[in-house]
Amino acid sequence: MLTPALEDYLETVFRLVARHGAARVRDIAAARNVKPGSVSPAMKRLDKLGLIRYERGEYVGLTDSGLAAARKVYSRHQVLHRFLGEFLGLPADVAEQDACSMEHSLSPQTVDAIVRFLEYMEVCPEASDDIARFRKCSAVHPDVDPCPHDCGIVPLTIERTPIMSIAQMQPGQRGRVRQIGGRGAVRQRLLDMGLLPDVTLLMERKAPTGDPVWIKLQGFEMALRRSEAELVSVETA
Amino acid sequence: MKPDLQMARDDARPNPTVLLMGNPNSGKTSLFNALTGSRQRVGNYPGVTVEKREGHWIHQGRIVTVRDLPGTYSLSSYSPEEAVASEELLAGDHDAVVVVADATVLRRSLMFLLQVMRLDKPVVFCLNMADEARRAGQQVDKVELARLLGVPVVETAAHRGEGVAELKAAVAAAPTRRALPPAPEIRELIAGLPAVEPVRDDVDASTRRLQAFGRAADLLMERTVLAAPREDHRRLSQRIDRVVAHKVWGMPIFLAVMYAVFWLTFTLGEAPMGWIEAGVARLGDGVTALWPGSPESPLLSLLVDGIIAGVGGVLVFLPNIVLLFLGLSILEDTGYMARAAYIMDRVLSRVGLHGKSFLPLVTGFGCSIPGIMATRTIENERDRLATILVLPLMSCGARLPIWLLIIPALFPPAWRTPALWGVYLAGIVLAMGLSLLLRGTLLKGEPTPFMLELPPYRMPTLRSLVMRMWDRSRQYLRKAGTVILAISVVLWVLTTFPRPDAYEVDAELAAGAAYTAEQAAGIRAAEDLEASVVGRLGRWLEPAFRPLGFDWRLVTASLGAFAAKEVFVSQMSIVYALGEDGDPGELGARLGNHYSSRVGVSMILFLLVGTPCMATVAVTRRETGGWTWALLQFGGLTVLAYLLAWLAYAAGGWLS
Repeated sequence: MLTPALEDYLETVFRLVARHGAARVRDIAAARNVKPGSVSPAMKRLDKLGLIRYERGEYVGLTDSGLAAARKVYSRHQVLHRFLGEFLGLPADVAEQDACSMEHSLSPQTVDAIVRFLEYMEVCPEASDDIARFRKCSAVHPDVDPCPHDCGIVPLTIERTPIMSIAQMQPGQRGRVRQIGGRGAVRQRLLDMGLLPDVTLLMERKAPTGDPVWIKLQGFEMALRRSEAELVSVETA
Repeated sequence: MKPDLQMARDDARPNPTVLLMGNPNSGKTSLFNALTGSRQRVGNYPGVTVEKREGHWIHQGRIVTVRDLPGTYSLSSYSPEEAVASEELLAGDHDAVVVVADATVLRRSLMFLLQVMRLDKPVVFCLNMADEARRAGQQVDKVELARLLGVPVVETAAHRGEGVAELKAAVAAAPTRRALPPAPEIRELIAGLPAVEPVRDDVDASTRRLQAFGRAADLLMERTVLAAPREDHRRLSQRIDRVVAHKVWGMPIFLAVMYAVFWLTFTLGEAPMGWIEAGVARLGDGVTALWPGSPESPLLSLLVDGIIAGVGGVLVFLPNIVLLFLGLSILEDTGYMARAAYIMDRVLSRVGLHGKSFLPLVTGFGCSIPGIMATRTIENERDRLATILVLPLMSCGARLPIWLLIIPALFPPAWRTPALWGVYLAGIVLAMGLSLLLRGTLLKGEPTPFMLELPPYRMPTLRSLVMRMWDRSRQYLRKAGTVILAISVVLWVLTTFPRPDAYEVDAELAAGAAYTAEQAAGIRAAEDLEASVVGRLGRWLEPAFRPLGFDWRLVTASLGAFAAKEVFVSQMSIVYALGEDGDPGELGARLGNHYSSRVGVSMILFLLVGTPCMATVAVTRRETGGWTWALLQFGGLTVLAYLLAWLAYAAGGWLS
């Protein structure tokens, strides 16, 4: 499994190899804006995973599986960049920055879906009309001419996920923190322990009568009473 | 960043002071021990009574002083620990801060570090437990992390001494090091965020603040984590927890573990106790044999019967103290104690206590004094007071000698282990009942949060076990050497003077009674005691204690137990050994002849519940900020003890 940091390194090597045929540690460091001393542990790691190979001197090249992995990372970046920039029409720097952070967190299925969507937009002759209509739609661009259709109030059909408190979770169930209630010391301690919005957690076990509960999050485990667990709402998968 | 920190600090003091900060369970204390070795001292913060540990080491001719702050999750000041840590950090006279992190809990540690960094002090980031993180498969790019943060990053495994030399060098250099600002992308995320949460209840602001620190931590991890820990790196811990934290089995296992600890204390302690006993007896004999003056000299009696017998009677229980603390330290260092708190919280919260009350209460098994001091981790005042007030019911180490004396003397062998276990259990059950009563009456109010980190199981190191045991034994021995010594002398005086004008036994002998010389000496000693101040006081109080089955000797010894619980033993030893050779082994047999098991139960209940020792009263007064609670605790427990002992004795009478 590649970590975000390693994916970035792999992508950098891929770009340098594509441009110069090989990548030097010095250039990788310059491209990633890190010290050369940081590059070698990362390269060792990639070497161990069989993704790169050392060539003469301080040059590194990609192995076949490294090339495949890098292509995947790189194309994912490209796809997201195009989706945000060309399709949604965001400024280039915003598109680049968001593509960088999105590429590590999106699941392969989501990226696939976006790829299929972009392909449809490019290949299907009717799609260009759609995209023009989308760009013109006053819901997105309030300054363009009013749309001939009367859609009324657009219902935002975002799929709802079940929301419950930590106390209601069953052992083995995963959840994503939405809100932290309570006040004063209780609330502060919950936040300090890392129960912040968007953090995912796993219900490990519950004591009899469901009090206290034992949860796992961000590399550690903690116990909290039912009264505190009720303060944290989560959305479950 | 303040401009003056951007430059090299030529004004840095030659002998710098650094603070050690970090989350609880980050291995801060073992790091402190690794840094300072034995060059440390333990004190208290003025005003509050949070433990203050300070030590030093020599680095290239400079003395580096290090202060170990209490473990905290943030710099907010909701608990006394957090208040001490943030006050010290904000106002303290120090040159650098070492933030100690559990490398396996990187995100939370980074969030804490970033908050500390907002204070613009030279910081060294120490990724402790690096060996554990490595085993879990985690790899962090230290160089890049240091560049992004602008602070030195050192990996250590303190319990093995790994990386400690490197940390020492980094710490010594920190105050003079040219401080670098964090990389722009990090700075941007945390700019303008206060290090300490302002005291207010703006719910969204506090979430946003910590979320921003969280985003910065995420970015740092995204850039520097080359290999994330394996998903299952806690597999072994989780397997163990599946058993010991089990819904049904957790509680019986906990009780069995406690039973095992006490059983080991009892059995393994036997042999060394015999050696110490023999040694004390031989010392008494040796002194008597070498005594240049008359063998009837009161000075010799003071030395042999007062000091040697008194202090020796306390010294005998050192093996038990050491073993008990060995057991408790192992439970604590392995991480089982946190599981015990999880298992016990359900019960404790029902009686109005807190899972956090558990550790002070368990510490109370060693000694009420550190137990009461350890209640400072409990944020809520009412929870804390309830814990303090019932804490003397936990049978402390000083009472162990009493049980070890009474139980074998008055109970058949098969009943000894269950009886000892029962004493401890009775204390626990009584504490629960009493705290429930308190929380329903004097200390009404909302219960407080229970949030407890459950660290993975760890193998305790010999070094930390030895250090802890040494600490406890030293406390115990110091007490034996000072308070107990003084009290032994005072009690010897009070049990020796005034002397009777004439012995009845002499009159009886003159009238032709057939006593051996030994029997006559024993009776003479008894007469000596009856005539003494303590004997008179005991006799005077005896009628009040008759419903409990106590004779004047027991009343006398119970009076002594107020000074310090173990004095009961040394006083009994003086009471019964006077005129003897001072052989402590004799004492048990003598008690067996004098008292029934029925008196034994009443005696145990009175000593378990009643009259917390004077040191406990003093510490309660200090910790609760006044005499009210201390006197209430003393009076309430003593009345309760009297009633319970009375009931038990009466019930024993009906049963037989």
